[in-house]
Amino acid sequence: MDQRLRIYAVLGTAYFVLLELMLIPAILYWPDFEKNIGAIKALAPLDVLKDMVDTLAQGGIEAYVNGQHFFKGVNTLGTLAAALFACSAVAGEAHRGTLEIWLARPFSRRRLLLERYFAGALALVLPIFLTSATIPYLLSLVGESMDPWRLILCAVHAAAFLMVIYGLAFLLSCLRSNPLPIALLVLMLTVFEFALYLVKGITHYSIFRLVDFDDYGAIMAQGRLNLAVLGPMLVVIVALLGASLHAFARRLP
Amino acid sequence: MLAKPPDPGADLGCIRVLGLTRSFDGKRALAPLDIDIGPGGIVGLLGPNGSGKSTFLRCLVGLVPPDGGTVRIDGADLVGDGLAIRRRVSYSPGELAVYGELRGEAHLAWLLAGRDAETLGRGRALALEFGLPLKSRLRTYSHGMKRQLYFAAVMAPRVRVRLLDEITEGLDPSKRNRVHELLREDADAGTTILLSSHNLGEVRRVCDSMIFMRAGEVLSKESADAVQRRSRSLLRLTYGAHDDFAAIEQVARASGVRDARRRGGRLTLQLDCEDPRAVLAAVCSASQLPKPQRVEYGELSLEDLYRELYDAEVS
Repeated sequence: MDQRLRIYAVLGTAYFVLLELMLIPAILYWPDFEKNIGAIKALAPLDVLKDMVDTLAQGGIEAYVNGQHFFKGVNTLGTLAAALFACSAVAGEAHRGTLEIWLARPFSRRRLLLERYFAGALALVLPIFLTSATIPYLLSLVGESMDPWRLILCAVHAAAFLMVIYGLAFLLSCLRSNPLPIALLVLMLTVFEFALYLVKGITHYSIFRLVDFDDYGAIMAQGRLNLAVLGPMLVVIVALLGASLHAFARRLP
Repeated sequence: MLAKPPDPGADLGCIRVLGLTRSFDGKRALAPLDIDIGPGGIVGLLGPNGSGKSTFLRCLVGLVPPDGGTVRIDGADLVGDGLAIRRRVSYSPGELAVYGELRGEAHLAWLLAGRDAETLGRGRALALEFGLPLKSRLRTYSHGMKRQLYFAAVMAPRVRVRLLDEITEGLDPSKRNRVHELLREDADAGTTILLSSHNLGEVRRVCDSMIFMRAGEVLSKESADAVQRRSRSLLRLTYGAHDDFAAIEQVARASGVRDARRRGGRLTLQLDCEDPRAVLAAVCSASQLPKPQRVEYGELSLEDLYRELYDAEVS
C-alpha cells in the first residue's frame, strides 16, 4: 500500500475516534442541558451564542445534535482534518524530496493524483458518516430518537462543505512545496471565517453560514438536501479537483 | 519529426532523441539535442553541475515535459506524461530520498510498484546480495545503503533500457565495483544503459562510449577508444608561473601542435599525431626556452582530458 494511503488510514481512524469521543459525552449530557437551558443561555457571552441556545431550546434534541455533532464537532475537527490531510498530499512529497521517485514509477500522473485525492477524501468524510450512524444508538441511551436517514443527509451536507476546504488545500498542495504554510493558511482562513460567523451583523458573510443550525435544521425538517447550497459546493469541489489535476500535470519534480 | 522506421523492432533497446529542448523561466536548460544510443552498451553522460544531465534524463522519462523535439525509447514515443516509456525502462533518479518510516522490503516493493512479482523477487535477491537489512526501517540505513536499495530496484525489471543518474554516488569501493560488474553483465546481455555520473574513473572503467554535455548542449559523443586516442594526443608541460609561455607556444606550434591551452603554470598541447617526440625535442632543445619542470604524456585522466578539451571543469 502507498505510504501516504497508510497515513490516511491512521489519521482517518484517529479522526473518527476523536469525533466519536466528542459526540458521546455531548449526547449523554442532553438531559442536563435540556433541564438547565435557561441558565446556559444566561452564561453565553455573545449574542450569536445566545441565539444558538434559543435555537436549541426551540429545536429540541434535533437542533442539539446538529449543533453538537455537525456544527461543532464536524466543522471544527473536520476543517482541521481537511487542511492536514490535503496539505501534504503533493507538497509533502516535494518537501521530503520523494516527489521525483513517486512520479518516476510506471503510473500515470492522473492515477497517482486521483488515488491520493480520493484516499484523503475518504479518510475525511467516512468518519462523518460512521459517527453519524452511531447517533440513533447514543440517543436511545437518553430516551430520545432521530430519523437515521435525515442524519445521513446532514452528513452529506457536512461532508460536501469539508470537501470544499479539502479541495482548496489539495490544490495549494499541488502548487507549492512546503505543506506547513498551506495548512496554516487554510486554518487561518477558516478561523477568520468562524470569527466572522460569531459577529452579529456580519455573520452572513461567513462560509460557516452554509453549515450552521439553520441549514441542518432545514434538512432535518424537510427530509431532503438543500440543493441551492449543496449544488454550488459540488461545483466548487469538481472545479478544485480539475484545477489540481491541471496543476499536477505540469508539476516538475 | 522523427521518421518512422520501416521495422518497429529496429528501435528496441534504442534511445533516439531529436531536437529535444527545454527551458526554465526563459533560461535554456537543454539546447536542441540530437542523440542516438543503443541498442546495447553503457553510455556515460558527463558534464559539470548544471550541464543538463539530470534534466535530460528526466525529459526522457516524462518527468519534465520537453518544450520541443521528439524522444523514442525502446520503440515507444514520449507522449503525455511519458507513461509508455516509464513502463519500458527503469530509471533511478540522482536525488536520494526515501520514506524513512518504511522497512527496506516495503520500500523496495513501493519502488517496484507496477512491475510483476518476479521483478520484486529479483530486486529482493539483489538487495540481499548487497547485505541490506530488508526488515529494518530506512531511517536506520546509511546513505550508501539507500543507494544500494535504489540500485536493486532499478536493476530488477527486465527492460531493454536503464537510465541511471549517479547510481554509485555514496557507495564504498567494494560495492561500487560490484555495481560496475552488474552493469557490465547487464550490458553484455544486450541492455542499453545510460549512466550519468560525476565519477570519471567509473565512466572510464565501465562505459563503452561517452557523451559530454555543457550548458545543455552535447559537446561530443565519443567511444572509450576514441577518448583514449585523444588522451594520447595530449602533452602537458609544467613550467614556472612567470616563464615565457608565448615563446614556448610559438616553438611548439611550429613543431606539430594544433592547439595550446594554458592554466596557471601548465601548458597543455594538442598534438597533430600520437607521437610527442618531435614537439618535446623542439621545446626542450631550444636554449632560449625555460626547462619544463614536469612532462606528462599518455596518462592524462578523463577529468584532465575533459578540462583541457572543453575548457570546462567537472565537479
